[in-house]
Amino acid sequence: MVVNDDVVALAPRSAKTGKEIKLAMQELWLTGEILAVGARLVVRHTFQSAENDPLEVIYAFVLPRDAALRRFKVEGEGFSVHSELRPVEEAQKAYEKGIEEGHLSTLAKQYRDGVVNLSLGNLRPGETVRVYLEIVAGVESHDSGIRFRYPFTLAPCYHSEAKIIEVERGTGEIELPEDKFGDLILPRFVADASALHRVGFELSIVLPAGMKEIASPSHHIRTSVDDQTRARVSLATGHALPDRDLVVDVSTKTDLFGVIGGIDKDGKGHFAAIVPSGRFGQRSDQPRRVVFVLDRSGSMNGIPIQQAKRAVEACLGALTEDDSFGIVAFDDKVEVFKQSLSKGAIEDREEARQFLGKIEARGGTELAKGILEAAKLLSHDGGDILLLTDGQVFGTEEILKQARSTKLRIHCLGIGSASQDRFLTLLSRETGGTSRFLTPRERVDLAVVDLFASIGRPVASELKVKSDCMTGKTKLSPQPARAVFEGHPLVLFGETDGATADRLVIEWEHEHATQRLEVPVQVGEHEEAETVRLLHGARLITDIESRLLGDARQSAAEKRLEQRLKKRLKVLSERFGLASRAMALVAVVQREGDRAGEIPQTRVVPVGMPQDTAFVSYFDRLRKGRGLVFSTAGSRLMLAESVQMMRFRGMGSGSQMGDLLSKEDLDMLTDSASGPDDFLVGLAGRVQPDGGLPGQDNEERIVLTLVALLCFLTHGHTRSAGTFRSHVQRLIAFLERQSVMNQLETRDEMIERAIQFVKTRKPQRDDWVSAARRLMGNRDHDWSKLKTKLEENLATAEK
Amino acid sequence: MTDKKEKRLSLGELAEKAKLPPRTLRFYIARGLLPGPRKAGRAAEYGAEHLKRLQQIKGMQAKGLSLAEIGRLLGEEASEIIVEQPRAWWSYPIQEDVMVWVRADVGPWRLKQVRNALKQMVAHLSEAGKKEKDGNGSK
Repeated sequence: MVVNDDVVALAPRSAKTGKEIKLAMQELWLTGEILAVGARLVVRHTFQSAENDPLEVIYAFVLPRDAALRRFKVEGEGFSVHSELRPVEEAQKAYEKGIEEGHLSTLAKQYRDGVVNLSLGNLRPGETVRVYLEIVAGVESHDSGIRFRYPFTLAPCYHSEAKIIEVERGTGEIELPEDKFGDLILPRFVADASALHRVGFELSIVLPAGMKEIASPSHHIRTSVDDQTRARVSLATGHALPDRDLVVDVSTKTDLFGVIGGIDKDGKGHFAAIVPSGRFGQRSDQPRRVVFVLDRSGSMNGIPIQQAKRAVEACLGALTEDDSFGIVAFDDKVEVFKQSLSKGAIEDREEARQFLGKIEARGGTELAKGILEAAKLLSHDGGDILLLTDGQVFGTEEILKQARSTKLRIHCLGIGSASQDRFLTLLSRETGGTSRFLTPRERVDLAVVDLFASIGRPVASELKVKSDCMTGKTKLSPQPARAVFEGHPLVLFGETDGATADRLVIEWEHEHATQRLEVPVQVGEHEEAETVRLLHGARLITDIESRLLGDARQSAAEKRLEQRLKKRLKVLSERFGLASRAMALVAVVQREGDRAGEIPQTRVVPVGMPQDTAFVSYFDRLRKGRGLVFSTAGSRLMLAESVQMMRFRGMGSGSQMGDLLSKEDLDMLTDSASGPDDFLVGLAGRVQPDGGLPGQDNEERIVLTLVALLCFLTHGHTRSAGTFRSHVQRLIAFLERQSVMNQLETRDEMIERAIQFVKTRKPQRDDWVSAARRLMGNRDHDWSKLKTKLEENLATAEK
Repeated sequence: MTDKKEKRLSLGELAEKAKLPPRTLRFYIARGLLPGPRKAGRAAEYGAEHLKRLQQIKGMQAKGLSLAEIGRLLGEEASEIIVEQPRAWWSYPIQEDVMVWVRADVGPWRLKQVRNALKQMVAHLSEAGKKEKDGNGSK
């Protein structure tokens, strides 16, 4: 643990006025260890009073995915006290009694949506107290790497009954109904986070698969690698602002396949097994039924909505004529592209583009309405939902309940600087889908195309896992996922009676045949045993909490069900020693000089608005009059790159085969200022249902398809790897058909060579994008010259 | 009399009566929505006015107002009482045991009416006093 006292000693000053600011919480510092299946973290909160009266400080934060509070330690001059885990009501009473008697009291109580209030009461004038809060949390696992995310701020979220108000210029408040959210106190949201508390981190990463690269799209980081399997990552600058999540990406040298765990103090064996999707084989090519559900709420405005729209267009390019699709856009109202699913035919896709073109971000986030509307479209024969959202909603348990009722797989692409990772992870997992969460500064379109390539076509379905135990009893919980999707590993948690040499036998269906895979599980003494046990517990607790509505307006039957769930939650909390919505953490420190009956002044620690999200997207209307704001209208994102996004607008409107590459498309495709990825996304969006690119005639189509194929290939997208793998497969299929049809001159050696070249999967350095831009920019081609040029390029690439 | 009978409450008791956690009450006090206790330290106590204010806050919340707006409204209400302009008054000792106060800034025509009324009052009270005296003497 690193205590950076130099940082603590410096008083924060307003960036605007330069004046010293009295903060109740000065600093938040994250430390801990990240493993392949989760992280064990310690968050140090430094509270300091610069006031003349005793203080009660309330800090609100949101838990990361699959997370639970384990315990905390309160430290100050001459004391160090650990928390106790007690039923919520008891803990709250102990806290209040402590406050009344003048003792330093600390309470960590969890509410709905994974929001926690950490309250510290009776902080004496001038005193400094540190609270070290231990948290266990999940990570986003990929086949060959992980993404770790920790929220340093809380996103202002939408709820239909929330009161949203700008209390002073640049400072907003959100209040939630008490009968649904209890006594939760939310922070004030401040547009300028520069005067708020400082945040920082220093983390260890342990990945036996060996680390290839460590990066962060959110913060400047410093890394040091101890050996190939252990590394440290810390903030490169002195401190950061509480206006965004910390995101750390680690890619590994080999896939994450493996089992970690061991015998813990309870005498039981605890393990977590990761089986990468690649171990299950290839995905099938069955026709897909997909509905895109696009969040167009105010908070999505700017880059995210533009990227999401463009990404949907690119996904449409990966559909074949056998696939069916629908589009639903929602804010507080729902708009549907068509009342039934459309085929991937050219006309439908063109109409879909026009529909997307008209979508603008505005209004609230009625996510459940969007999902239910998508479910209607898929009601007869099932299918998959691909949700693109920032997930900034309160009352997520209600949405989860409705989502489960659809019995459809929901795949989520989350976009945001402040995490709704916990909610979107649950939404996809509880419905059997997959999820990814990005920051607005990453490319949303590439990620969605990547996610889309794997959905609707699991690499394994009807999955069953059984234990083939030889020396003990192995129990898996929660129930393993029923399907595995490309890029997303199967993660299993389990426990054994003691030291065990077991074998997990995984069976699944793939293309009408039963497949089988064995995973050896050796459970013995191991240092990670406790961490794995805690991660296991946090996962089980999170799953139950996602079903707890906590709504005072429920029916008697619903209340009975909630009581049962709460009992189960309490049992789990006690068994794993983790807090939950049934059990809270409390500590009371009795000290000399405590004065009973004194009322401490309450201070709620403000947080910064999530980076890239404009304050006005939530707290706009009050400036126009003293009314309540129930929606998130009029949002605006403030990204320097936003001008560049203007290029994405006005994607083609033509409907004739020969005119599909419109002037605007050509401008975009031939604009050398846009990056190669922009170009590839645009190209992907132009792929026709038969797999080829549009053109005046077949000859032109073949040449352009070849060029497109080589563009994808030279950027690392092959038939089996890369974001555009679905597109590559379809381009190859088109060219192969042309070759078989034996009709044209161009089905000659050049096509064969190109296909062979593609099949060898040799990415070349040649910039085919530049070549393609030149080729496509000239509408009055001399086709013989073009072919010659292509042959030359191909020959160069093959060298 | 009623003041003496009124039960004084601790913060915990007030919270229980208002069905709100004590932490919420402290939060309201810090925001200026709820007045602080009547006395400081261990003797801190709360009364009916605190409970009434909490009910008032709940009512305003139910009508859709946010705490910030409630704070503003309650602040305006309080300021109307406190910041009222000072006024000058004339005092007229009508009898040894009767004093009538008249605002000094009333218009001349009104003052004339008031003076006439006062004269009648003086006459009436003097008459009534005399009769009572005579009556008592005859008995």
